[in-house]
Amino acid sequence: MLDATQWFIVACAALALVKLVFGSGAAERLIALNVLSALALAFLVIKGVDEGRAIYLDVALVYDIFGFLGLLAVARFLRDKPMDDDKE
Amino acid sequence: MVEFILGLVVALAVYSLRSGDLLHGVLALSGLSLLCAMLFFLFEAPDVAITEAAVGAGVSTVVYVWAIKATERKDKAQ
Repeated sequence: MLDATQWFIVACAALALVKLVFGSGAAERLIALNVLSALALAFLVIKGVDEGRAIYLDVALVYDIFGFLGLLAVARFLRDKPMDDDKE
Repeated sequence: MVEFILGLVVALAVYSLRSGDLLHGVLALSGLSLLCAMLFFLFEAPDVAITEAAVGAGVSTVVYVWAIKATERKDKAQ
């Protein structure tokens, strides 16, 4: 059951990654990256439960904190510079 | 599963090299380091995965976006 869930999450990550590469504009790619990081968080927690070791949950915790910092930096960049990426 | 994630890493690396918009390349690099952290995790190295998640996904994205903000966003070579 947990194995099937992991495969499902990886398949969803592949779909979000298609949006990250072929999306239109930086904001859409940012949303795709956000979805990707949420999927990675779920994957890490499920894998940690599967293996039964508590240190695996620390990876999910640290990634959640620092990934949010990166998303915040890109969002502030999009606020400071007006959107000029739609007209390529 | 490892081969599948490695294929995704290669696709993201090629895109971040070829993209003309540097911000899109930085977003792809952030996703790449996320997938690399998942790979380290699958290879049972959680401490390396913690470091990769902190440095690759967080700090390097902030530094790259800061540098793009101070300079140009478009790649002039393309």
